[in-house]
Amino acid sequence: MRDFIETSVGILIALILYTLFSHISVYLIQAINVFSLLVIYMSSTRNEIYGACVGAVCGLIQDSFSLGVFGVAGIAKTVMGYLTGFVSKRIDISPYTRRFILTFILITIELILWAFLYAFIYTKTLNTGKGVIFIQPLITALLGSTLFPQIRKAVQAISRFRR
Amino acid sequence: MSSFFKKNKSLIVLALLIFLQLFLISLQIPLGAQENYFEKAVFVLFSPVQHGIVSFFESIGGFLKGYISLHDAHVENEKLRQEIFSLSQKNRILRNALEYYKNEEEIETLLGEVYPNILHARVIGIDPSNTFKSVMINRGSLDGIEKNMVILDKFGNLVGRVIGPIAFKEARVQLITDTDCGVSVFTEKNKVLGILSGDGKGSCVLEHIVSTDENVTEGENIYTTGFDSIFPPGINVGRIISITSTSDLFKKIIVNPYFEFRYLDQLAVIRSQALVLF
Repeated sequence: MRDFIETSVGILIALILYTLFSHISVYLIQAINVFSLLVIYMSSTRNEIYGACVGAVCGLIQDSFSLGVFGVAGIAKTVMGYLTGFVSKRIDISPYTRRFILTFILITIELILWAFLYAFIYTKTLNTGKGVIFIQPLITALLGSTLFPQIRKAVQAISRFRR
Repeated sequence: MSSFFKKNKSLIVLALLIFLQLFLISLQIPLGAQENYFEKAVFVLFSPVQHGIVSFFESIGGFLKGYISLHDAHVENEKLRQEIFSLSQKNRILRNALEYYKNEEEIETLLGEVYPNILHARVIGIDPSNTFKSVMINRGSLDGIEKNMVILDKFGNLVGRVIGPIAFKEARVQLITDTDCGVSVFTEKNKVLGILSGDGKGSCVLEHIVSTDENVTEGENIYTTGFDSIFPPGINVGRIISITSTSDLFKKIIVNPYFEFRYLDQLAVIRSQALVLF
């Protein structure tokens, strides 16, 4: 139940950030993938099954807001969530550099997988947003690796307060 | 057997999730551009959340603007008064121009049909995967929104059309900059017909103009023809910014749409399919 509430709140926050970013600049949406950040955070604090499920849900939400093939972002995020859960169970990702490298690699994998599926199913070239999409792994990883410990502290503080 | 499932539980879950999503993708093949029920359900479930977020932040913004920045109200009122005056003048000139083609009674009937069929809408979300493909608006089936209704920007330039899914108070709009969008258009000077589609990068491409055709020039305006039975004729679409003759049969003509993506905030939904002025 606690996991469900945390995930729902996470999705709501991701939606708020995505909406705010879309009102600030279109390039901000391409530079920062808030849904990927949510999937990585949730997966790294739990396990690979949970990561794959959260990845599927977040990917399908992203797909529903997007005009294209429904399920492409879903598959990419499912794989990313699974890999995050799998790796974070075996490697200690608490040091900043390690967390940054892992997030960067995972978002790059997701982006490559998504672009491959998109090009394969849709037979169209990708809109790179004047190249902004290529810096998405870097920006998102920087943001994620900086914010994750703070988010974890906030979640723990809320849990303590509730008890 | 059960130990195999226990040992590979996580891989089986992953495979099942991927299979489910591949199944969803395969469902779309017979449907074409039409969305499936699952996609519609997710859209109907989450688009009101996004609508609520926008409304919440807008109301906070409105409150701050209304109470804290009240000293600007006088300047804004003056600006709006001038705008109304200028629009009234423009309206009068257009009515006079219309009188060349139709009599007073016909004009009254025509304009009587036009005004109630224009619905104001706001953009509440941008396509997260492909920026220049679609946007989400704050109008839905409860406002009478239907598929293929035409969307214009606040200056009357063509933006796109409503496509599915349509929720109760939200709908998705396909932009003319989408690669899958097709608009029947003609050029201003020599009335050369062509099909306009998006290039997916914020501009459009005028297609099917043969390389030998010399009647199309840079800087020309592009208008809708109405032949596609979706977009009414005579709507401003964009301007030709470059023409390149290639070794192919057709020229490569880039059109810059008049609507500006950065300022795509307020939109007009044309609810009647038959708003033909001329």
